[in-house]
Amino acid sequence: MALTPEDVKKIATLARLRFTPGEEERFAGQLAHVVEYIDQLQEFAGDVPDASAPGVRESEDLSQECLPRERFLANAPASMDGFLLVPEIKGGGGDA
Amino acid sequence: MPELWELSAEEIARRVRAREVSAAEVLESCLARTSQVEPLIGAYLEIFEGESRARAAEIDRRLAAGEDPGALAGVPVALKDNLSLEGRALTCGSRILAGYLAPYTATAVERLIAAGAVPVGRANMDEFAMGSSCESSAYQPTRNPWDLSRVPGGSSGGPTAAVAAGSVPLAFGSDTGGSIRQPAALCGVVGVKPTYGRVSRYGLVAFASSLDQIGPIARNVRDAALGLQVIAGADPRDATASEEPVGDYLERIEEGIAGQRIGVIREIDVAGLGGEVARNWQASLDRLAAAGAELVEVSVPSIGAAVAVYYVVATSEASANLARFDGVRYGFRSPEADNLADLYFESRGEGFGPEVKRRIMLGTFALSSGYYQAYYGRARGVLERMRRELDAAFGKAGLLVTPTTPSAAFRLGEKVDDPLAMYLSDIFTTPANLAGITATAVPSGAGSDGLPLSLQILGPRFGEAGVFRAARAFERELGWVVAPGFRGAEVGAG
Repeated sequence: MALTPEDVKKIATLARLRFTPGEEERFAGQLAHVVEYIDQLQEFAGDVPDASAPGVRESEDLSQECLPRERFLANAPASMDGFLLVPEIKGGGGDA
Repeated sequence: MPELWELSAEEIARRVRAREVSAAEVLESCLARTSQVEPLIGAYLEIFEGESRARAAEIDRRLAAGEDPGALAGVPVALKDNLSLEGRALTCGSRILAGYLAPYTATAVERLIAAGAVPVGRANMDEFAMGSSCESSAYQPTRNPWDLSRVPGGSSGGPTAAVAAGSVPLAFGSDTGGSIRQPAALCGVVGVKPTYGRVSRYGLVAFASSLDQIGPIARNVRDAALGLQVIAGADPRDATASEEPVGDYLERIEEGIAGQRIGVIREIDVAGLGGEVARNWQASLDRLAAAGAELVEVSVPSIGAAVAVYYVVATSEASANLARFDGVRYGFRSPEADNLADLYFESRGEGFGPEVKRRIMLGTFALSSGYYQAYYGRARGVLERMRRELDAAFGKAGLLVTPTTPSAAFRLGEKVDDPLAMYLSDIFTTPANLAGITATAVPSGAGSDGLPLSLQILGPRFGEAGVFRAARAFERELGWVVAPGFRGAEVGAG
């Protein structure tokens, strides 16, 4: 399938990525090229087994110590009184 | 007599444990070599001079006190910049992790240190391990020690170039679609992608969790086997780390491959690649036969779809894994935003480089409503089919072989504007990740241009010992010496 700059804009919003207009155009071309290549998978329609999840050993559901708060917050871009600090939570967003 | 930096990891550990040389002497030799070659190749993002000296001194103290520091006593190792070492910076080659300090140590790194290894630095990589040339690092490109105008491969280009250039005898990277084997091929060294679950991923920054594995890079097969031996095994902190016993990889490594059935995949048309790769491939098959292997043809009909499957599955997982980098909890935060939603968009938009953005976009697309079944669902199905076909092939031949890469090292800048061409350099390496099996890249000589080429040996799940045995037999038959010439250095060094 062909990807339009509008498709790219929509995917960028879902992915929480901001692009410059120049990037948007370049990415639309490059992604379209890759998607065209990936479309070869459509030839396998109706000819593939059900995908099974790889075997994972479930560990026991036990409460364990996690990273101490101060060590975690040492990497935070901004914190206050032991909490992460973020800007105003209302407004803004993507193009959607 | 060779310099200490030229010795194998195995020989260094033997001499250090026998107290013939000190860990400090080995480290100084490697650091001196590093200061010679690093201005040419740019393999490291950071060198831990102080910390590595302290660690080497500690190993010497323990030896003096009669203790045995372990199988890698005094062996300097380089770590790809996505392996956590507590208190050290960890950037994954990305601007979005600038300033981040690892709050804990990866299990594999913990095991290396417990075995006496000395981490000497953080080695460069494609941003978040996404790339096949090391050019997508936000910090610097790394150059191929054989020819400085060429890429070292990627994503583990830094650790691999460091090993090839003699900075360290052993390094550790991660391989999601070929990120250890492809650079190993381009730099003329040995690289191992272990079976999925053979090595704990705890402390490895996730790219595609169902495909990622940590593995060793070395100048010879025995060192690679020793490196994997140390880091392999179960880990309660990674539910996907297998409890399958590890075994001794070196015990029977010299036994050769007389009578071993080795499968050649019918659907991979190496002759069609032409040139040096095709000639070298034929010579490699002749060498395997000369070592006593019986070559048989096997069929893996869906293998041609591996890159397509890989770029759906890996990017889908990446788009989910990289959602955590949002400017809130760690790493880069855009100063531009004045509300939370903009903070996400701006921090990710400014913090991620173009290749990471492309892959997040591709994964988001493949998982999005209306396309999920046609892309992600279909890719998982083809993956399952390929896995079954490979299982059947291993029923006919204990091991399979392919070239590791479709070409020798390409030039810097050659593929940066053509993502698909870059992706196709992983054409022979992605099937092992998709099927969860093990594969090793072993040098197969050089083309007439002097650039290294490589043979890939694939084994079934937990078949590492057999792969190492075959790789060692091949290495013996070839008699390859890793001696890069730093072509182009006379121009830049003046």
